[in-house]
Amino acid sequence: MKNSIRQIWAVAKVAARSNLAYIGEVASRTFFLAVILFIFLKLWQATYRESASSVLGGLTLKQMLWYLTVTEAIYMSAPRLAQQIDEDVRSGALAVRLLKPISYPLYCLSSALGERIVRFLANFATGAAVTFCLVGPFDCSPAAPLMLLVTVLLAFVLDGLGHLIIGLWAFWLEDTSGLLLIYTRLSMILGGMLIPMELFPDWLKSFVLFLPFPYLVWGPAHLFVHSNWLQFAQLLGCQFLYILLLLAIVKVIYGWALERISAHGG
Amino acid sequence: MWFSKILSYLRLARAYIKLNWSMQMEYRGAFLSQALAMFLNNGTWLAFWLLFFNRFPVIKGWEQSDVVTLWAISAAGFGLGNAFCWNLHNLAAMISRGELDVWMLYPRALLPHLALGKMSATAIGDLAFGYFIYIVMVRPDLHHFLLFNALVVAVALVFIGFNLWRGSLAFYFGQAEVLSEQWFFAMITFSTYPNCLFDGWLKVVLYTLIPAGLVSGLPVEALRDFDIGAAAFTWLGALFVLASGAASFELGLRRYQSGNLLGMRS
Repeated sequence: MKNSIRQIWAVAKVAARSNLAYIGEVASRTFFLAVILFIFLKLWQATYRESASSVLGGLTLKQMLWYLTVTEAIYMSAPRLAQQIDEDVRSGALAVRLLKPISYPLYCLSSALGERIVRFLANFATGAAVTFCLVGPFDCSPAAPLMLLVTVLLAFVLDGLGHLIIGLWAFWLEDTSGLLLIYTRLSMILGGMLIPMELFPDWLKSFVLFLPFPYLVWGPAHLFVHSNWLQFAQLLGCQFLYILLLLAIVKVIYGWALERISAHGG
Repeated sequence: MWFSKILSYLRLARAYIKLNWSMQMEYRGAFLSQALAMFLNNGTWLAFWLLFFNRFPVIKGWEQSDVVTLWAISAAGFGLGNAFCWNLHNLAAMISRGELDVWMLYPRALLPHLALGKMSATAIGDLAFGYFIYIVMVRPDLHHFLLFNALVVAVALVFIGFNLWRGSLAFYFGQAEVLSEQWFFAMITFSTYPNCLFDGWLKVVLYTLIPAGLVSGLPVEALRDFDIGAAAFTWLGALFVLASGAASFELGLRRYQSGNLLGMRS
């Protein structure tokens, strides 16, 4: 266990460092993030005005914008994990990766984690600056940044496991991009990236709570604008539960996949 | 003289479309999966808007049917413009890399060859999506459907002209890929949100620098109120964007420097 954590840390650190070298690419997205947040401001300003209400789904306009800043930062930080596995399987690069003294899924997950943390921090810093200029600060609890950091980290592990499951299907499918698209779009809509779950119809809300998607996006973002220790504990519980479930699925699929590998020297 | 010239270019367009279509059909599975993926992607955004308007039925006079019309016209117009002129989507990169050389060897003008040289399966998915949701969700009468067709062509011309605008930047600035991409993202984003959200100086920008008003503004008004005047203005705007795009390409072409790149089209 201790050894695995050390391995995860080492791979994540290398991935984070190599991403820091490409910080210019991250900065080039600033404009897009600013446009999106500006449009969200206009959309929700109009919605609050027409609803003649200062609170919608338990959020004020300021909180809504900060909520959307977090969801965008999470969504836009997604690494190319499933595509990478797909390429490794298709090109045969997997045979080389298997020689490393770390299990392949653990390597992929750690690398994606390191990459994603850097991207998230850069996106969040940019988004926060834009949102601050647009609507100003909101009444943030001192515990909110810590809660955000912990839950976002677990959300990244959970999302990474989802990507791993999809990427590993490359052993059986011709192309996993369709599966990946379905997964990312489901996490976008059902995860509450564009609209908080409180504003979903009741039937959808009660259904979505049984899926892992809200714990990827909605949970951390909502906790940031509505910090609450009880909800924090509940979210951690749900995230851990889904991480264990997805870990078991990854283990089974990877076991099946290993049986299909045949590598030749050369 | 002019008539025979136009006929000659129409024959060229038909030949390219036929050739590109048969190339796509060689990889039928990949073509269908890409088109389907785009269909699904657009469906997710539409699902967001359906959820949104389910909760807030009217925003600044816009209702659910208006936003469905917006997505129908923008997806179909974007699809039509890019399905058959996909090279223009990557024009800035092609110019920066000196890849126009190979297209200069053909008889007739360069631009039609270059524009029609590549087809996009995902854009065909957009085109199909636009028509599908308009017919199934809006259920237009014959007059509205005919007007929809005319506006789809106009919006396609807007996208072709806009691609020429942003792609031609590379003639003047050299490396303009990032700028071109950001401009494209801004256009797409503003084209897929209700135009009523924006006013003041931004409205001016949306009918000039980022001509998204010709996609998400005038055409939707024309279809909602069966306003022939708004449709005529859309067409005028589209012709202006196309003509100015072609002019900026032809002017920029004089500054083009060959990359001495060996290329072969098979």
